[in-house]
Amino acid sequence: MIEVEQLSKAYGSTVAISNVSFKVEPGEILGFLGPNGAGKTTTMRILAGYLPATSGTAHIASHEVHRNSMAVRQNIGYLPETPPLYMDMTVEAFLYFVARIKGLPIGDRTQRVESAMERCNLIEKRRVLIRKLSKGFRQRVGIAQAIVHDPPVIILDEPTVGLDPKQIIDVRNLIKSLAGQHTIILSTHILPEVSMTCDRIAIINQGQIVATDTPENLTARLAGQLGYAIEVAGDPEQARAVLSQLTQVDSVKSLPNDGLGDNHHRFQVAAATEEDPGSAIANAITTANLGLYELSRNRASLEDVFINLTTEEPTVAGTDSSPDEVTSTLPEARSDRPATQDTPSELDE
Amino acid sequence: MNSIITIIANILAIYRRELQSYFASPLAYGIATIFWLLAGFLLVILVFGPQGLLTQSAFTDQAVPLDLPYEFIQFYLGLLGSLAMFILPALSMGLYTDERKQGTLELLATSPITNWAVALGKLLGVVTFFFTMVLPLLVLEAAVVGSSDPPFNLQLLFLGHLGLILLAAAVLSLGMFISSLTESSVLAAILTFSLVLVLFVIEGIAGGLPGPLGVAIAHLSLLKHYSDFTQGVLDVSGLVLFLSYTVLGLFLTAQSIEAFRFQRN
Repeated sequence: MIEVEQLSKAYGSTVAISNVSFKVEPGEILGFLGPNGAGKTTTMRILAGYLPATSGTAHIASHEVHRNSMAVRQNIGYLPETPPLYMDMTVEAFLYFVARIKGLPIGDRTQRVESAMERCNLIEKRRVLIRKLSKGFRQRVGIAQAIVHDPPVIILDEPTVGLDPKQIIDVRNLIKSLAGQHTIILSTHILPEVSMTCDRIAIINQGQIVATDTPENLTARLAGQLGYAIEVAGDPEQARAVLSQLTQVDSVKSLPNDGLGDNHHRFQVAAATEEDPGSAIANAITTANLGLYELSRNRASLEDVFINLTTEEPTVAGTDSSPDEVTSTLPEARSDRPATQDTPSELDE
Repeated sequence: MNSIITIIANILAIYRRELQSYFASPLAYGIATIFWLLAGFLLVILVFGPQGLLTQSAFTDQAVPLDLPYEFIQFYLGLLGSLAMFILPALSMGLYTDERKQGTLELLATSPITNWAVALGKLLGVVTFFFTMVLPLLVLEAAVVGSSDPPFNLQLLFLGHLGLILLAAAVLSLGMFISSLTESSVLAAILTFSLVLVLFVIEGIAGGLPGPLGVAIAHLSLLKHYSDFTQGVLDVSGLVLFLSYTVLGLFLTAQSIEAFRFQRN
């Protein structure tokens, strides 16, 4: 349904995306995941026919997006990064307007507008001016305008931005309910979003696709790396030495103390093999007469895969990359990283 | 055939939305109010003022009778034309700058609707709004010329106002083009006003230029052709000029929106 081949886009000398290729099958939801400024919006805009690509081709419903723009436009619903809303219109009037310019036949308009409002929970706000709506409602009107004409392909650029947690769940369910009859591509920098809603994930970083796979397979890639977070009381150097000696342990690194007190120290340990080093660690620590306060197992999550793929150095290199510190909105939390900096074209504004 | 209907439906959709936003916009009402106040004031001055038409006719040599209704309409439409020069840039400034600010240009550019259909719909919308601004003035004019004896020639009235609307369409169309170039409404208004000013006084500038170049440039003047209309002369070259400016504005707007997508940075 969507075929992207070797797509590149440069703004002057800045390369926004280079050689991006992926495919989306009919009825599938593809999540486009990447840090801010990685090229998600640029890709979306090219797919929607808003921007021409510098090189490469993209086909939607077997029409080339730039050469056959009008045919593509009839087949897509598009939610840009900032919802395109006329502030001086009511929700209902705006959706009727969109239905008209999307070429919906007169007879279908009422029914389609009603159904879009219903799906996006906008019925009670139908006669409210968009200017007076909160950000969450505006975002929902943005989604409603993307689905009002029932397009085969839906392109959503960060559909859950600005929503509260309950609304996010509603929108995710809405997106899931659209799958099947619609092919959907959505971009986000929020990890749980893709793992929950998408059939497949494409991870983009610095304008290049670094991985395309199902959420399960991506997680499996790093699942071999078993690890433990440990809290001990006593001499940190001794603890480190004790842990490093174990054959089952691959690497040991210190974690921030987080106000545990002077005598307490935290470590992150990575297993050397598939063999679980848990009991060996516990034994070694107690034998060395160090106090063991916490021993918790962590497996690589999708977030680790994401960090591994989007940062230049492997995560084990830094002390600041412990799994339990990683928040669900990674890129902001990690904006000090080179991978999220100096990325081209902050198109977001 | 089917595609023509689609295009007309698209233009109508944009036209309706544009009108809707004008009639819901405090700014538009503000502009209309200022226009009406000034237009009413000018009418009073022109007729009853110390140098007004009534005083003039009282002191004129009765051997050469003054056609007062004719003089009135001609002068008054001339004044309205000058007034419009200040008002029209304020109407056209938001045509595309608002779309850009609200991000709705991205919606229009990804909908199955051509750039020029959008531009035409918008232009028709704003011209219609200006037309409704002129309508109440007709009542004032009717009050002045209605009692004239012999009855006033309606053709003159019609031609004069047709000229005013055509002039407005030309200015608004060029203003629309300028508003498609920038994100700032204020900048668009200032640039449009400057352009209109040049097009109004270009005849004077051309007068200083020798030879056919001066003559050619003088023909671009809005004021010269507009005064033909207000004198009741249906001048085809004036009609062509105004329509050309309008089409040029539409064409440039559609092109600039297209080019903007290519060069966006």
